[in-house]
Amino acid sequence: MNSHPVSTLFHRRHGPITEDLVLQPGNFGLGQIPARLQPDATTTLVCGFCSTGCGLKAHLREGSAINLTPDPDYPVNLGMACPKGWEALAPLDAPDRATTPLLMDRLTGAFSPVSWETAAERFCGEFRRIRETHGPEAAAFLSTGQIVTEEMALLGALFKFGMGFVHCDSNTRQCMATSATAYKESLGFDAPPFAYSDFEQSDVLVFVGANPCIAHPIMWQRVLRNPRKPQIIVVDPRATETAMAATQHYAIRPRSDLLFLYGIAHLLFENGWIDAGFVEAHTAGADAFRSFLADYTPDHVAEGTGIPRERLLQLARTIGTGGRVSFWWTMGVNQGHESTRTAQALINLALLTGNIGKPGTGANSITGQCNAMGSRLFGNVTSLLGGHEFTHPAHRAKVASILQIDPSLIPSQSSRAYDQILEDIDSGKIRALWVIATNSVHSWINHGRLRSILAKLDFLVVQDLYHSTETAQIADLILPAAGWGEKEGTFINSERRIGLVKKVRHAPGQALADFQIFRLLAHAWGCQDLFKSWSSPEAAFQILKRLSQGQPCDFSGIRDYAHLDAAGGIQWPLPEGSPIAPEPERRLFEDGRFFFPDQRARMVFEAPRPEPEPPDADYPFVLLTGRGSSAQWHTLSRTSKSACLRSLAPEHPWIEIHPEDAENLGISPHATVRIRSRRGATTAAAFVTNTVQRGQVFLPMHFPGVNQLTFPAFDPYSRQPSYKSCAVSVIPVTPPPGSRGVGETPRG
Amino acid sequence: MSDSTLLEELLREQHTLSAVERFSRVHDRLTVRTGSFTQLLPASPPSPSQQYAFAVNLDLCTGCKACVTACHSLNGLDPEENWRDTGLLRSLTPDQPYQQTVTTACHHCLDPACLNGCPVQAYEKDDSTGVVRHLDDQCIGCQYCVLKCPYDVPKYSEHRGIVRKCDLCSQRLAVGEAPACVQACPSSAITIQLVDRHPPKPGPAETMLPGAFPSDYTQPTTRYFSERPIPPEALPADAGAHRLESAHFPLVVMLVLTQLAAGMFAFLPFLVSLLSPQALLALASCAFLALHAGLAASALHLGRPLGAWRFFLGLRTSWMSREILAFGAFSGSATLTLAAAIAALEPALKLPFPAVFRTLGPHLLLFSAASALLGVLSVGTSAMIYIDTRRPAWSAGPTSVRFFGSLLLLGTATTATVLSGLAAAGIAIPAIPALIAVAMVVRLGLWTWETQRNARLLRDPGHPAHSSARLLRKYYPWAPRLRRLLVLGATTLALASLPALPKLAATLQALSLLFTLCAQLLDRTLFFTTAAAPRMPGRP
Repeated sequence: MNSHPVSTLFHRRHGPITEDLVLQPGNFGLGQIPARLQPDATTTLVCGFCSTGCGLKAHLREGSAINLTPDPDYPVNLGMACPKGWEALAPLDAPDRATTPLLMDRLTGAFSPVSWETAAERFCGEFRRIRETHGPEAAAFLSTGQIVTEEMALLGALFKFGMGFVHCDSNTRQCMATSATAYKESLGFDAPPFAYSDFEQSDVLVFVGANPCIAHPIMWQRVLRNPRKPQIIVVDPRATETAMAATQHYAIRPRSDLLFLYGIAHLLFENGWIDAGFVEAHTAGADAFRSFLADYTPDHVAEGTGIPRERLLQLARTIGTGGRVSFWWTMGVNQGHESTRTAQALINLALLTGNIGKPGTGANSITGQCNAMGSRLFGNVTSLLGGHEFTHPAHRAKVASILQIDPSLIPSQSSRAYDQILEDIDSGKIRALWVIATNSVHSWINHGRLRSILAKLDFLVVQDLYHSTETAQIADLILPAAGWGEKEGTFINSERRIGLVKKVRHAPGQALADFQIFRLLAHAWGCQDLFKSWSSPEAAFQILKRLSQGQPCDFSGIRDYAHLDAAGGIQWPLPEGSPIAPEPERRLFEDGRFFFPDQRARMVFEAPRPEPEPPDADYPFVLLTGRGSSAQWHTLSRTSKSACLRSLAPEHPWIEIHPEDAENLGISPHATVRIRSRRGATTAAAFVTNTVQRGQVFLPMHFPGVNQLTFPAFDPYSRQPSYKSCAVSVIPVTPPPGSRGVGETPRG
Repeated sequence: MSDSTLLEELLREQHTLSAVERFSRVHDRLTVRTGSFTQLLPASPPSPSQQYAFAVNLDLCTGCKACVTACHSLNGLDPEENWRDTGLLRSLTPDQPYQQTVTTACHHCLDPACLNGCPVQAYEKDDSTGVVRHLDDQCIGCQYCVLKCPYDVPKYSEHRGIVRKCDLCSQRLAVGEAPACVQACPSSAITIQLVDRHPPKPGPAETMLPGAFPSDYTQPTTRYFSERPIPPEALPADAGAHRLESAHFPLVVMLVLTQLAAGMFAFLPFLVSLLSPQALLALASCAFLALHAGLAASALHLGRPLGAWRFFLGLRTSWMSREILAFGAFSGSATLTLAAAIAALEPALKLPFPAVFRTLGPHLLLFSAASALLGVLSVGTSAMIYIDTRRPAWSAGPTSVRFFGSLLLLGTATTATVLSGLAAAGIAIPAIPALIAVAMVVRLGLWTWETQRNARLLRDPGHPAHSSARLLRKYYPWAPRLRRLLVLGATTLALASLPALPKLAATLQALSLLFTLCAQLLDRTLFFTTAAAPRMPGRP
């Protein structure tokens, strides 16, 4: 650089503004980073958005995170993160954080801050009154897959054993209930069998109703690391980002997935593409399945799915002769009216072809939320702590002895599911509801009715980071919670890896970790003695270890948080006595033994049922919903807080529509359209694209209008809502008078 | 334990950050891992005939957008600031589904428009790397680079008062580290490659991607490649979305007032022999004030005006520099003209001026002629500023018609108004009807031209400036009516002033001028907001 004084006078190459961007070695394994963001320490914690479970390295100054980068040494993400991970700290700084308990005046609708003492007193007063007047079934909670396992367990234990209530559910009902049910029925335990290394070791990867390119970009990274030049197959009505990157795309008719998969199974049998030895040795029900499949001829299936016979055969051949085949699915399967059987149809394909328990294989459900598995195993919601059964006396006795509580405190009755809890609120059976870290008023299916249902409650408590969510705004009491990064605990990711979350930020104001809120409420309720040993998240983790003992998910071989931290997370199972440094990536069922007394996996099947709301003359389009972009998460309550994430996706709702449909309806690109179903209406900007098929439209789920349209159908086994298909009409919104002109005149 | 002691304990615990003591020591030992990036960077530094460039493998880019956030975090950008953007290509062909995410940052062009446009040389193209660097402390915040870059790369920061942009992470490259976006791409879609600094010039229709600006303007170096060719009918997801651009109000005021002043000075030489010294002084003062008010407004546009004295550095390539120089000369000459007009009147005023001042008086014609020339020249440089951006809406013809039309219209109308005012004060003034007539012809001519051009653009979707007409209709459906009202109002008032008595005539003239000014301010605002900026493909 020329630093001659005259030159400096004319060209200011240095100075305070330039200084702002000067980089210097960041130390701690970081490369060059801005000098003003130099950390004095770093530490790794697991991301709190999706179930990939990436390790993020927080850059700390005086213990508080000032920036973060993906951890290159974490076995999940290998130094990469999606935009949400990169921006994970931004939502913590939002101005609408709840910083003190807030009590609503029902007359004015205004919130006023109250002390924790008042809040706890009010909470316990209301719940106790309702329990005394209406019984233990008159209050419920709706929880989440977004808080740490230790908190979920304490919440479930407190609510059921301490406060003596029965009914509770979690928003994992909206994402993973189907997979959990399918796995339990087919494999004997809610046990996704894979490790992410299976992405790298497959010859054929079959993605059904999954768009990992934007929903799980870091899993897609693992697919791209596959050196075997794999066939990548995508089954999805839309030509998604993943379909574009696939080698074969099957754009089946919406909700014809079960039929499609039975058609493939039929062809596998017909052509002898079956691993007969494996089926004989390790499964049950194959013969019955074979005779059931007789009806699912290629002609029949081609007609129902819109996929020609030759292409069905092509897919069956790829699966039957392709070597190591892995099957992956997510919400496209899980959120359907017969989703459990659909997931099981995929499990059946893996079992028939012997593609389970070997590298690069598996019937693999990709989880949605960061701790959906923690919720399923330890939420004390559907299953008793540790994947046990409430209805099983021996299980109750085991849990009671580990917790050192009276077994009679454990209800023998299963909880009502999310939709049933709402039904019970509607019918007046449930009078108080406690919503923790979820935004039902936005996310629940057909939520147009939900506000009026929740208005019937005597008492609604919302415990959340933000006082601004749609649900918090109608609460009687808001409890301010510390967020991810402001507390400790563990998550369990898609591949069963238990990872650590650490406290690297101060929570604002009086906000408390959910764990501490539960302890405070236990104390206020007077049942603190039951939870004496739950003195900290790590103490709770030791309890969870004991609860897992003897279960398929046994992780009693993990010593403590430091062990998890040093190992980069540890997958279950890791029973006591396992090596301190287990193989970093392990899959289940390598011995072909499944979690049934006879150790045989079950082939479960059932004839497809017609979709609940097919399109008709009045509502001629099928509405598909799903993830809009990698930068958007659920109801946007967190991702909308980052300016950077906001810039990565449209801030207004958009609807994807086929060019011919758009032309027929007189909808020009970017025009505002109105979408109407039998339950509600909303508007969106038209995004005209040929990635959706004729007669179908797609809305990203992140905008509140979407679930005013969706049809409340539920899978009968998992009770998961069917978000992916309902009938709607689409019309252009008439532009303001005088603004119409060439190119915007309706045609057709 | 009571509730309150428990609560105190819980709050205390909540506010103790313990991660460092409990976990961090093990992480302190790690060393930087640069090995994994080596295949993403060139093996050797560029030779003298080469430079660094981004290369994007579209087949690997699947739309995760981590590159944008990584650039944001690793460079410590402001919350709203991004140096990298992503967009989407899609297709409307019914049965061949297509979509492709594209990631884009600065293209480190061979002939950077930002650099060429910068009046103070706040950009430099690095000799050894070819990186187009922005010198943040040199920047005066004029944002001309924002207008010049056809890829929307330089980003203006209101609170810093400067623009900033991607420097290809030069500081990282210098130590063998990959740029932030390259490091962060989970699929290694972005790499750094060496490209020739003197390739054959791109053809006029060549673009980097469908919808991108023709590459022959700046010769961008980013290469997008794919084994599956992009379908020829692919188009950006935001094609036809019609976004409004910034209005730049200080510039709106600046353009209108300086064109008014240039117009007044343009007529002054012809009036020197016709008018009394008082009238000439009134005109010169008014023109002088308008000019300097306009120039003051333009300074408000600068984020950091104190560095603007370095404007001469860009004279070789920047029309902004040339404009500043031209207006500087115009301002000097306008000052002399005003001084001469005062001096001509000085004997009557008996002001305590030095003797030398009196010698200026006889040169009024010379100074006003110089001002007339410099004024026209300055307006010409103003027009060139916009023409040189190559925005379709700012092409040479329409921009010249608008700017010189304003010069004529405002020059005649303001002169007529000032003279009417003097006439109302009882001073005999010739030439007013002629000036009013010229203003009327120009006013109606401009309006007709603007209206017809707009209708023509609206009918022709293939016209490069079509989107300006669409923007106008979408966001300003009321503007044509308002414009008609103002133009016809101004014309009627001016016509009515002709037969009126002097006092009424002056009032009507003043109102007519007010209407004319409002119409011009409206036109100039629309000139900015509807000048659709070329961009890389955007999102839906």
